[in-house]
Amino acid sequence: MRPAPDRGPGAAHPAPWLLPAVLVLAAFYAVPVLDVARLAVSDATLVRPASGFSTQALRAILTDPALPQVLGTTLLFVAVNVVALQLLGLLIALTIARGERRGLHGMAAFRTLVLAAWVVPGIANGLIWSMLFDEAPYGTLNSLLAYVGAGPVAWLSDPRMALVSAVIANLWQGTAFSMIVFYAARRGIDPTLYEVAALDGAGPWRVFTAITLPLLRRAIAVNTVLVSVQTLNTFDSILALTGGGPGRATEVLSLFTFNTVFYNLDLAGGAVLALLLFVIGMGMTLAVLAAGGRGEA
Amino acid sequence: MKPTLLMAALAAAPALVPLPAAAQDLVTRNRVGLADAPNTLTFRLTAYDLYSSDPATSEAFEDLFSDFIEARPDWKIETQLQTGNIGQEQARLLQQTQAGRGPDCAMIDSSRLALFKDTGVLQPMDMVFSEDDVADLFPYVREAVTNEAGEVLAWWWFTDLRVLYRDTSVVPEAPQTWAEAQEAGLAAVEAGREGLLFNGGRWEGTAFDWLANFWAQGGELVDADGAPVFAEGENREKMLAAIAYYQNLVESGASPRRVTAIDDYDAFTAAAAAGTASMFVGGNWQYGQLRATLPEEQFANWAVSELPGPAPDQRATGTGGWTIAALSEDEEKRRLCGEIVKEIYAGPGNAAQGLLPTSAAIYDQYDAYDGAEYDLFAEALENGVARPGAAIYPEISNQIQIMLGNVLSGTAEPEEALDAAAAAVQAAYDRQ
Repeated sequence: MRPAPDRGPGAAHPAPWLLPAVLVLAAFYAVPVLDVARLAVSDATLVRPASGFSTQALRAILTDPALPQVLGTTLLFVAVNVVALQLLGLLIALTIARGERRGLHGMAAFRTLVLAAWVVPGIANGLIWSMLFDEAPYGTLNSLLAYVGAGPVAWLSDPRMALVSAVIANLWQGTAFSMIVFYAARRGIDPTLYEVAALDGAGPWRVFTAITLPLLRRAIAVNTVLVSVQTLNTFDSILALTGGGPGRATEVLSLFTFNTVFYNLDLAGGAVLALLLFVIGMGMTLAVLAAGGRGEA
Repeated sequence: MKPTLLMAALAAAPALVPLPAAAQDLVTRNRVGLADAPNTLTFRLTAYDLYSSDPATSEAFEDLFSDFIEARPDWKIETQLQTGNIGQEQARLLQQTQAGRGPDCAMIDSSRLALFKDTGVLQPMDMVFSEDDVADLFPYVREAVTNEAGEVLAWWWFTDLRVLYRDTSVVPEAPQTWAEAQEAGLAAVEAGREGLLFNGGRWEGTAFDWLANFWAQGGELVDADGAPVFAEGENREKMLAAIAYYQNLVESGASPRRVTAIDDYDAFTAAAAAGTASMFVGGNWQYGQLRATLPEEQFANWAVSELPGPAPDQRATGTGGWTIAALSEDEEKRRLCGEIVKEIYAGPGNAAQGLLPTSAAIYDQYDAYDGAEYDLFAEALENGVARPGAAIYPEISNQIQIMLGNVLSGTAEPEEALDAAAAAVQAAYDRQ
């Protein structure tokens, strides 16, 4: 007869034990979200409190001619970033893991260097890249390009290029996070598997596709969710880099929300957009988890 | 205890012993006055004076604040810094004040003053300012800072304006008209310089600087009730003409395409210092910056003139600046707020930074305003136009920034961009 598993105190009646956590979550997460929902169906502005129920803000925001462009820009910004963040993060994590396995010096310094970008605040990130992308005749990147006979590039003044520049700035900062996730997951893979693969004479690509990638599937799903939500909420670095311009070329949904509240003073409209952000973020999370997050690690 | 820890503890001990009051620093990063002073005034200010990154400016204001608080030993001023994000900071200030959590005294951007007045949060400071003080203000300033009852609700302590800077070695004669500005820009490009630089990025400076071209034609953004009318009737034609001016500058090559990414006046100073600029639309305060930045012989080439207009006799320039207002109902605090303005900022503070006073008398009172450039600034101020005192202005500005960005980057035609801006502003106005 197998012994009964040790279920621990309170396993039979978990509710009282969970209550404190539920109350904290409700106070710090659910209440603000519900308050945003309340504001979304009101006529509140930054200078006038809500006077009652109104769907005017909801209708005005959803029929705003600017919204499709903003959503399109957001979709492109998030999609490119999520794919690139995964690829770059994975590449760096595997490079470091391989370097460490071979006993190469400087791997810790390399890892720290990548992480340094992650701790830079978004506003500072935007300012740093705005200096690098400066299109003046003495601008940093264009001057470097000129040395090799290339450029100049309209990094920030061309609408399409401005979005590419915003993506580059976000990648520089966000890659470290993906690298950490993949590095931790890679270190968790049993080294015996690689030893067996080596004995069998499997090449690097075969090892990657047959061992590393399948065993990183869960980490990829989790990372996709996290970087998607992070990128969806990115606005500070874009605010400092382009302000959303030229025109609306780099105005993503979170920046549009910011502008709606602080230029329009439209609290109700901003609340509608915040809910839209919440719904999109939740939808992406559920979609990713449904597609790939439930497999075995 | 390890020896190193013991040494560290001994080294830190003096910091824990209370210093005599006289030895305490009167100006810290968040306080002016003695920490144990019984009365407290909270003051939200910008980072351009007392906490300026320019040592000369911050030292001048430290002296002024020290003298001020030494004369009032029962008071301390708790200072709160605003960031440079004017829209966000001012919206937050208004919201906090309405909720009863605002500071007692605060700097309010002149473009937001009307919004604060409309919401009734500003408290009178008449006990400090005499009728003569008010009468000496420039008319547009006097109107902005007083209410219908004649109460002083804020003090506009400095104003500014936009002018055309030019390197006279490349552009000897000041362009008087839009056409001349374009010709001068093209000539500068031929001479190997950048043409006419201006703000074209997504920020307030872009809309405000450009609006001078609309105002020069007599255009109006809002009607007497504060409703947007900038895209209606004659205003529409004036808007389109002003858009065409900037569009022609960029499309002809008289201005570089990079202007749509310029969202900071410092970019012009940097270009002048690098020797690549020939002309730019800048603020009057940049004259002092250029003098401090450029070598003497290089600075000697730079001159300022009024912004070009559609015709020589059609000129305008946007006037801005900052105000200080009392937000507390407490009479003592209102008085102290007014005295801060009068004894520190309006007058000595102006002179310390070379900022343009809003009272005619101050120009005669300080030697700092003896330079020839101030004659030009005073002349240009006669064509000064302040932003309208309407709550919809921030959104008008936002839409003008988008409109100009789209036209100058070639993603929209002027009429289409103007229609989109007008529709967006009207929708926002309908819901305010």
